[in-house]
Amino acid sequence: MKKKLRWLLPLVALPILWLLYWGMGRDTYVLPSPMAGLEAPEFHLVGFDGDTLSLADLRGRVVILNFWASWCIPCRTEHPVLVQTERTWDDSEVVLLGVVYQDSRANAERFLAQYGGEWTHVLDPSQRTAIDYGVYGVPETFFIGRDGHISHKKVGPVTWDLVRYQVDSLLAVPVSSANAGSVGGTP
Amino acid sequence: MSAMRRWLPITLVLAFSFPATAVSQEGETARGTAAAQETEAPQTVEDDRSALTDPAEADLDARAAEVAGGLRCPVCRNQSILESNADLSREMHRVVRERLAAGETPEEVEAYFVSRYGEWILLKPQARGINLVVYALPVIVLLLGFLLARNRLRKWARAGAVETSAGATGSGSIGVEDEEWLRDALRES
Repeated sequence: MKKKLRWLLPLVALPILWLLYWGMGRDTYVLPSPMAGLEAPEFHLVGFDGDTLSLADLRGRVVILNFWASWCIPCRTEHPVLVQTERTWDDSEVVLLGVVYQDSRANAERFLAQYGGEWTHVLDPSQRTAIDYGVYGVPETFFIGRDGHISHKKVGPVTWDLVRYQVDSLLAVPVSSANAGSVGGTP
Repeated sequence: MSAMRRWLPITLVLAFSFPATAVSQEGETARGTAAAQETEAPQTVEDDRSALTDPAEADLDARAAEVAGGLRCPVCRNQSILESNADLSREMHRVVRERLAAGETPEEVEAYFVSRYGEWILLKPQARGINLVVYALPVIVLLLGFLLARNRLRKWARAGAVETSAGATGSGSIGVEDEEWLRDALRES
């Protein structure tokens, strides 16, 4: 009887050990996003200049959508990477777009005056776009291909290696196949 | 030692069943507290006092609160968006209300949030797929424990029956000397 039950010990212990290994080995703050591979939700947001910008306006270009705030410390860490991103690719190919999250325009502009950066920013006062993208903190960055599909979501500050890898991958997709099926993609 | 060995499987089985029960009840308690707050705390969909006079608005508020009570606040993690005062939670609550007002079912509203935040956003795990483990495991483990206990008890009872029947025929489990000693001891006390 005792010998027969000996197999029970590993059978019970192994799942527990595996669960502990899995549970303690991961960063519980970072959630797996279900949005990679899906079509990026459309938005109509007002920029600092008062113009409304939509994602459809950017169709045909690679879009880096960066949710950020001036009160967010990790956003300062990643800011130089974004500055370099803006300098590396031409606007006609890769668009960097900042979405100001839970912050005022004045604060955002003060931040940009201090840390630099010339790319476009839009305000999301109702946070509806953030909710549409499943944002739960800043910074969060979405890499969107020419066909308007999200290829990757990064929670936390981006690194230059990540940006370069993602953008290069998206640019490597031929324009014709990326635009197939999209409606009126004007570069 | 052998007693410990004997109880080891049962102890392990019981220990394993506890976390599973705890997980499956987590959503339940959150929902419970959310329901309790519904009556006491002010609605997070504030500013709108039409619910005081219009029964349809009040009904919408109640339905929105029920859905919001089951959605996890992405900022504070272990609160529902109904209980949470985080800006994002309040806005999500407003989204819930608007979507319900637009004619969506509570399931559709939940599906929207799951599509954006993942299943993590639901305080109570859905009873399908791998999640069924959480629901089924306590029952299975309890059943296994019951069967194990029943088998053990039967075996012990059978062993006891053999002993007493053996004692009745004369070749008892305690010897004649022991029996005399026991009788003396009982008389003295």
